[in-house]
Amino acid sequence: MHVVLLRLALGLYFIGFMHSVLTTLNKKQTFFRPALAAMFAGFVFHVASIVLRAMDVRYLPLTQQYEAFSFFGALTTLGFLIAYAKYRIAPLSVFAFPLIFIMTFVANLFYDPNPSIPPVLRSNWIYIHTPLVFLGYAALFIAFAAAIMYLIQDRELKSKHLTRFHHRLPSLEVCDDLAYKSLAIGFPLITLGIISGALWAQSVWGVWAGDAKVLFSFLTWFVYLLLIHYRLIAGWRGKKAAYLSIVGFIGVLVTFLGANYFGGLHTF
Amino acid sequence: MQLALVGLSHKTAPVEIRERLAFNSDALRSALTSLVGREEISEAIILSTCNRVEVVAESQDDRLIREFLCEFHRIPQDSVSKHLYSFRNAEVVRHVFRVAASLDSMMIGEPQILGQVKDAYRIATDAGAVGMHLSALMNRAFAVAKKVRSETGISQSAVSVSYAAVELARKIFGDLSGKGVMIIGASKMGELAAKHLKRAGVSSVLVTNRTFERAVELAQVFEGAAVPFEHFTDHMDRADIVISSTGAPHFIITKTLAEQIIHRRKNNPMFFIDIAVPRDIDPMVNEIDNAFLYDIDDLQQVIDANLKERMKEALRAEEIVDKEVEAFCSKMQSREVVPTIVQLRDTIEKLRRDEIERNRRHLKDLSPEQQAAVDQITKSLVNKILHTPIEQLKHLTHDPQGPDIAGLIRKLFNVKPQ
Repeated sequence: MHVVLLRLALGLYFIGFMHSVLTTLNKKQTFFRPALAAMFAGFVFHVASIVLRAMDVRYLPLTQQYEAFSFFGALTTLGFLIAYAKYRIAPLSVFAFPLIFIMTFVANLFYDPNPSIPPVLRSNWIYIHTPLVFLGYAALFIAFAAAIMYLIQDRELKSKHLTRFHHRLPSLEVCDDLAYKSLAIGFPLITLGIISGALWAQSVWGVWAGDAKVLFSFLTWFVYLLLIHYRLIAGWRGKKAAYLSIVGFIGVLVTFLGANYFGGLHTF
Repeated sequence: MQLALVGLSHKTAPVEIRERLAFNSDALRSALTSLVGREEISEAIILSTCNRVEVVAESQDDRLIREFLCEFHRIPQDSVSKHLYSFRNAEVVRHVFRVAASLDSMMIGEPQILGQVKDAYRIATDAGAVGMHLSALMNRAFAVAKKVRSETGISQSAVSVSYAAVELARKIFGDLSGKGVMIIGASKMGELAAKHLKRAGVSSVLVTNRTFERAVELAQVFEGAAVPFEHFTDHMDRADIVISSTGAPHFIITKTLAEQIIHRRKNNPMFFIDIAVPRDIDPMVNEIDNAFLYDIDDLQQVIDANLKERMKEALRAEEIVDKEVEAFCSKMQSREVVPTIVQLRDTIEKLRRDEIERNRRHLKDLSPEQQAAVDQITKSLVNKILHTPIEQLKHLTHDPQGPDIAGLIRKLFNVKPQ
């Protein structure tokens, strides 16, 4: 049942995905309202799917790739809906909807009907570590999207050749504000996520175990630390902050997607 | 309903001709009264602006309006006739819709014309020159104008220097409330830009000028503060927007200065508007992070791009107008045809009843059943005779010929409104 719901969600997310594609091609907001409604409905099915899966496995459904992608997709939708409710920035959808769709699509690809929970993940720490990290990632994704919008708008204003993007995108101030607030939410979450991960590792092995994922997440965390530092101390904002925020999110993607291929404890 | 329109506009006539045919507000009333005083003209509205003079009337004949225009202004007809255009019926509807929606304006999408059309309508109504036909037309025109405005972008982007400046400021700062503007040098255009910024929510205004008295004067206008020209750079970090328009022969804001100011502002963005020729602000300022510099040519370029966008939107607006013209005309036609159907039936029914009444004496010997039968027979006879004409009329409700044929039927059967 949970996979049926997930596929329903995927179908609805596809409408959002098409909205993003057409909006980019037409350079003009295309059926945004229906797409927004579809994304919201998709999110409801998606959450229901995760809850059902949890009841199936009687555990936090985050021990398989299928579950991880699904969970990340749902959190990104949540992140988008919160940011949209607060800022009403329609163009954010162009970034968020494809990511949500792809994550959910990948989740479907990896679907494995037989839940087998690796013994190493049988720990209460999983309830703390993984959701914190994933929530943090979702917030940092919003920061990333805001940074891209900032850079496009900045380039338009500097070049003085204003295209349709200029009219559709929010003001620099709003982009920067959204990027900063998302960072201010995302950074503490990944910080706590990393700490809880370290404590977990210590409780299992007694030592801090390093694998590729741990290494990358440290690097990523450090990039965001720099960003926070420069924003607070050196008064960085706008373009420089946007570039660093993009570097940080590339780090997030490498950590989340790439690290599995390098082997290590997080391969599951 | 028969509509006729005669007029001239910036597209067909130079200003020398337009001003000769224009109506000032005193002349409007008497002109309207004299128009509707003629037997062939039952309703009239006169729109007279600096770009156009138009007379729209409920009348069969546009030649009467041409004659009237020339007589009223005492101009020989042949001297203006080549500048005048005339429209009839559906073309009138289209033209009025396009004018009200600002599609026929010199600056497409400019918002004033709708107000001018509304004024013209009000004046004509007050003068008693408007009846149900023109009021239906004008009210629909206002609705169409509103629709065009909200569904297309023809009035959206700025097409004047000062509005372009406000629009750009909004894209940099978002909300302008709490932001400050500094005006360097006192020029008309700088003042106008500052006025629009202030109206858009900018809260503090600083003014500086080589002659300090002029700065104080201008500061009073904007409820701001004047700053001595010698020290203006000390105060510049308080300004988010700088409008410069001095007569200085060299740059008064260099890249180094701008960098210092941005640094003092902790990298908060700044918007420099340089409307001076020769320029006041070093173009290199635009290369500084968080500084945005637009000179007069840049603003002009923005306006040109916006204009192109408006032209594209105007095409969409024309489609809306097309649909509305069709809808309005067919509604008007059915308005003429439907009452004819009802009144035709009433007229014949009355004939039947009168005839029965007149022959009551001959019928009184019949039994009640037989009397009822006579009543029934005459009724069905009337229905049978009227069946085909009424079916035909119903088909004509959306036919452009409908009103003419309805008129013919009225004449043939001597049908009158009851």
